[in-house]
Amino acid sequence: MNGTSDMGRAEMYEDDGGLDPRGAVSLLERTQRQAQRGLDFRSPWLSLIAAGVVLVGFGAVWLSVRGQHPYKGPTAASLVVLYALVLIRIGTVLYAHRRASAGVTGRSVRLRRAEGAAVAVTLVAVYVLMAALAHDGAGHAVFYWVYGVTATLIVLAAFWAARSAVREDWPQLCLSIAIMLVAAGSALAGPRGMWLSDGVGLCVVLLGVTATQARLLQAPRSDT
Amino acid sequence: MTADTLDPLIHVPARLQIMATLAALPDGDALSFTRLQEMIGLTPGNLITHLRKLEEAGYLTSEKTGSGPASRTSVALTHRGRAALDAYTETLRGLLNGL
Repeated sequence: MNGTSDMGRAEMYEDDGGLDPRGAVSLLERTQRQAQRGLDFRSPWLSLIAAGVVLVGFGAVWLSVRGQHPYKGPTAASLVVLYALVLIRIGTVLYAHRRASAGVTGRSVRLRRAEGAAVAVTLVAVYVLMAALAHDGAGHAVFYWVYGVTATLIVLAAFWAARSAVREDWPQLCLSIAIMLVAAGSALAGPRGMWLSDGVGLCVVLLGVTATQARLLQAPRSDT
Repeated sequence: MTADTLDPLIHVPARLQIMATLAALPDGDALSFTRLQEMIGLTPGNLITHLRKLEEAGYLTSEKTGSGPASRTSVALTHRGRAALDAYTETLRGLLNGL
């Protein structure tokens, strides 16, 4: 391009001598921020989508059960809405993760694969337990209330809390604990109220995460 | 303390960007040449030149896997490189405090 070789450009870059300490700090901070954003799949948008998913998904189920006397459990239509939203959430996370980890190899990638496998086995184990209880004649209230949502949330959040503690990832540890508290507390609201309590509680927690992430993205780094 | 005390190998815009980007990876991880180029926005030739200088100084390692069109080069910061960037940042902080 314009008769200038890549090597020539490299030397020009090096010889321009235009990097004063303030310029170096500015470039360093900007590069660090861009690198962290580019390599981390988590973002305020993803958290906002998750907040919407739990509010609308659990809200749809709550609307379907709130007038039931006796309690029969969520309708098929409300479960379709819930699971469709959960699938959308999983899809957006996988897409963001694939983009962020493109070209990255090494220890953290192997760790993430192992964690993913452990989460998958945990979920399968929880659902096998649900199926066993249903087969043994557990009622709808128990099936959908205690195991359908609460146990799944607590088991997954506990797993994530342990993983976050090992990595000293304190924001994720706080998030996991908050999810466990919401799930356990919502169980006290009964088989109908639980859906609303879970939906609103998790939505509030995830909106808090969204706000924190957005603030961190705008805040200048303090280590330089 | 003057700007001369800053590590001349790092105190170049392109190499500072390379070091800061690789330092954002967890210890033990590597980044493909293509992704690094995409993140920093340098031409391949320019990037190769700077990577070579940093590798000669022991600040990073590169590994080539595969062969032909499917070959892939990954680069990672060494412990020495991470320590050099930390020292550079510390010197920079000292310089700014003295201004």
